[in-house]
Amino acid sequence: MSSANPPRPIDRAVIAAQSREDVVVGNEIVRHNRASRLIHWTVSVTFFLCLFTGMPIWTPVFGWMASLFGGLTVCRVIHPWAGLAFFLSTIVMFVAWLGDMHLAPGERREWVSEGRAMRYMRYETDDSDVGKYNGGQKLQFWLVCLAALGLLLSGLLMWFPELFPAILRQLAYIIHDVTFILFAILIVFHIYLGTAAEPGTFGSMTRGTVTKAWARLHHGRWYRDVTGEERER
Amino acid sequence: MSLEIRRSSAAVLGSLSGMRKLPTVSKYIDTTTCIGCKACEVACQEWNDLPVVATKQEGSYQTLPTLHAQYWNLIKFSERDVDGGIAWLMRKDQCMHCDEPGCLAACPAPGAIVQYANGIVDVNADRCIGCGYCETGCPFDVPRFHKTTGKMAKCTLCVDRVEVGLEPACIKACPTGCLHFGTKDDMVALGMLRVDQLKANGFAQASLYDPKGVGGTSVVTVLAHGDHPDWYGLPADPHVPILVKFWKSVLRPLGAAAIFGAVIGAFAHFTKYGRKEAAGTDDDDTNLPTV
Repeated sequence: MSSANPPRPIDRAVIAAQSREDVVVGNEIVRHNRASRLIHWTVSVTFFLCLFTGMPIWTPVFGWMASLFGGLTVCRVIHPWAGLAFFLSTIVMFVAWLGDMHLAPGERREWVSEGRAMRYMRYETDDSDVGKYNGGQKLQFWLVCLAALGLLLSGLLMWFPELFPAILRQLAYIIHDVTFILFAILIVFHIYLGTAAEPGTFGSMTRGTVTKAWARLHHGRWYRDVTGEERER
Repeated sequence: MSLEIRRSSAAVLGSLSGMRKLPTVSKYIDTTTCIGCKACEVACQEWNDLPVVATKQEGSYQTLPTLHAQYWNLIKFSERDVDGGIAWLMRKDQCMHCDEPGCLAACPAPGAIVQYANGIVDVNADRCIGCGYCETGCPFDVPRFHKTTGKMAKCTLCVDRVEVGLEPACIKACPTGCLHFGTKDDMVALGMLRVDQLKANGFAQASLYDPKGVGGTSVVTVLAHGDHPDWYGLPADPHVPILVKFWKSVLRPLGAAAIFGAVIGAFAHFTKYGRKEAAGTDDDDTNLPTV
């Protein structure tokens, strides 16, 4: 009975990540449990549904996206409902993650006006005192939730135009577009940082885990909190 | 063969080939000789095969309070106190077929609203996605969304009659000669003639309504009280809403460029800064994919 395939060892980290997070399993740390990842991907999928049904309506340059759904009329039918789903899943995400996303006093100023965001992008920041989320991630969270609200409110005016005066509908077009444009730029960098720029990050949204080295580099304080290790040096 | 298209909604580039030169056509409406018989309303319903729309009594002779997705031609009645007397004003309300159509500017569906070479603005129902943006873009409050069909509808200026050399149904039906149809130049000349006549007969404020804010309209209207177009339910200075123009002409191209720019920026960042990852192999990161 010699099997070619030896039995696969149980992946304890993945099993732990089903329900727990902020725990060490072997060489890995669970960063996002399954519920947390599910929320993220629900927001993500509904966002992309909105994006691909909305962009062909936005400008004919992206008209080809409509063929993914069977035409512009189908997009127009799907888009408001996808938008509603996006907003509702964002609310769930907001409630679930709010506890971790409180900006420390001065953190917004440090990231925005004092240029930490730019230094972060130049890989110049020392992140050894960063908790589970850095200021940029927290700001992204708040911007996403704010944008979802702005897109919903303006979207409702566009969905039910007969209920609102023309001037409000005109404003809604502008608000919907400006919010979307800023949001799209934010998401481009969100995806870029989470994949190409920072290896190991994407695994936290698939397996749910990151390596110890990753945690030490990007979230030093979180690493020490989770592992119980003392600060080096 | 259909008419050549001068302008099309949601077109990346314009579509007029300029192969043929067509004069702009226009309706002529003389509100001073309209008797409110509504023959034009009936003719419109008949020619366009529109169903009976239940009338709504609001204390005047008007058939409906406003235009309707299945009622494209409505005589509006209005009573005004004028110099101690009363003026009973009637105006034929319908699509004005603007030279710069706000509906077309706002429309996101390619080819759903077109302006033919002769100036007629028409809706292509099969291209219409029923978003209602045209209602916001129109300065005359004309396009109407139809809940059952999910499409926008309005006066076509009987393009199907005009392109085979007939006059629009409403013009054909008018018994007093207050409606005429022809080239824009001819209709404007006719209108000026009538305005001069009115001025000579005690209506010093008479004027021809052909608003320049929308580049002129293919419906020119003689108003005895030209200083008060609002008495007839007409805006004094209509134009495509500035926010709609900004939205379509500034925000849209800038936004698309900004999003493309962000993608390019991410690539540029990667080429300059590369990956950010833990230095050295001090660690037992066996699960880390090799990079």
